[in-house]
Amino acid sequence: MYVFNLDKLSRQQSMLIFHLLARMGVEALVLVSPKIPLASIGYFQNAEEEMDLRFCKKTNIPVMRREVGGGATYLDENQIFHQVIIRKDNPIFSRNISENYERFSLPVIETYREFGIETGFHPVNDILTKEGRKIDGEGSGDIGDCFVWVGGILLDFDYQVMSRVLKVPEEKFRDKIYKSMKENLTTMKKELGQIPPREEIKSVLIEKFEKIFGKLEPANLTSTMIREMEKLEKEFTSPAFLFKKTPRISKGVKIREGVEVIYGIHKAKGGLIRAAQEVEKEIINEISLSGDFTFYPKDYLEGLEGKLKGNVREKSLLNSKIEEFYDKEKVQSPGVESEDFLKAMKVEE
Amino acid sequence: MAKVEEYDMPDELYYHKEFMWVRVEGEEAVVGLNDFSQKLAGEISYIEMPEEGDEVKQDEAIGSYETGKWLGKLYAPVSGEVTAMNEEVEDEPTLVNKDPYGEGWLFKIKMGDPAQLDNLMKGEEAIEWLKGEIAKHAKEKK
Repeated sequence: MYVFNLDKLSRQQSMLIFHLLARMGVEALVLVSPKIPLASIGYFQNAEEEMDLRFCKKTNIPVMRREVGGGATYLDENQIFHQVIIRKDNPIFSRNISENYERFSLPVIETYREFGIETGFHPVNDILTKEGRKIDGEGSGDIGDCFVWVGGILLDFDYQVMSRVLKVPEEKFRDKIYKSMKENLTTMKKELGQIPPREEIKSVLIEKFEKIFGKLEPANLTSTMIREMEKLEKEFTSPAFLFKKTPRISKGVKIREGVEVIYGIHKAKGGLIRAAQEVEKEIINEISLSGDFTFYPKDYLEGLEGKLKGNVREKSLLNSKIEEFYDKEKVQSPGVESEDFLKAMKVEE
Repeated sequence: MAKVEEYDMPDELYYHKEFMWVRVEGEEAVVGLNDFSQKLAGEISYIEMPEEGDEVKQDEAIGSYETGKWLGKLYAPVSGEVTAMNEEVEDEPTLVNKDPYGEGWLFKIKMGDPAQLDNLMKGEEAIEWLKGEIAKHAKEKK
């Protein structure tokens, strides 16, 4: 098995490399960073629904669909991607996918430990610090005859740009995403106050991965590989592939395992209702309601938010909370009923 | 129905090495994902299948599905023309988890060459193959 200990690659090549090696059936560990910022969407995401394509174009951030699951990500030089490509007939590979995640996360966890950051694997696919903050997110997929498992060491993270590349129905929702990411996503810089030397981190990663794969043979990109990546880039950025319609419907942004920001807009008879929530394990941590509907007295909308906070997103429970609030506070909202709030909050049966 | 450890394996079906099953109905092959594969992969969130009219080749990857951030592939167990796909599964992919050999069927292929069924496994051969796969992939589960 090879190790491609690469520097920063241009355009989308830091992502294309694992797609190429998997298609070629080459088993490898790849360590690489992008030279320029880019955005990537999961295979089943709709680019137009998930990404602010106008902003990405304006700021020269290329967007690509990857052949790996999960959600939209913003990638830049402050991340070291670790990509494992193994053939599916390799005894190390398990069709019990969660086992692969757990096994391949271990070298990453040990690397963080080596630099003084205690982390642990958190199913399905996150590495979290002791305080529960995400420091490495992972994804995987079958490509050709290979299984690929990819993730990234976060040296530093641009929360602002990440919240900007995502498409949101209302600008104000960005702030929720930004704050939630700041709270739930950490980096080496945040944890240590500084970024350790990149080459040191990569050399520890290789040493730890060798405990699983045995001695890895150093390899470099060949001119054929670069040419093939250029061909792949055309395929991956073609409108037919990038903008293909998929069955996944966007309802918000997953920040880390168990934490998501859900936003929704619902047109009730009495006006438009906007709802943005931070939800942790189905419990509403934070919620903000707004819109152009009449709610009298207006100040009491905050009271309704308070009444909903801390509850499980369960339809009958939230319905009774809203009705209790209306009964107690004697508020009026013509043309807006509790069902309308629940629709804006995307609370299902 | 045969059961290999906790995995169902109906006797009358043909099995493809990429974990697909085939039920022959006249000229058509009804295709699905086997119980072993769906159990190990976990709950399916999204699925993308070939479209009606598509010509597919045996062993070719012709669709994808996502479970817990893993993107798996669906394969054509035989060559031919896709004549139907299960729209209910497209709307509710967990049907594959709930009933992989029944309501969770995926698509139908009008077989170009029924002799290709000989390349698939059935009966004892399929059971032995699955035992091998369990030993390779589900060993930590036991």
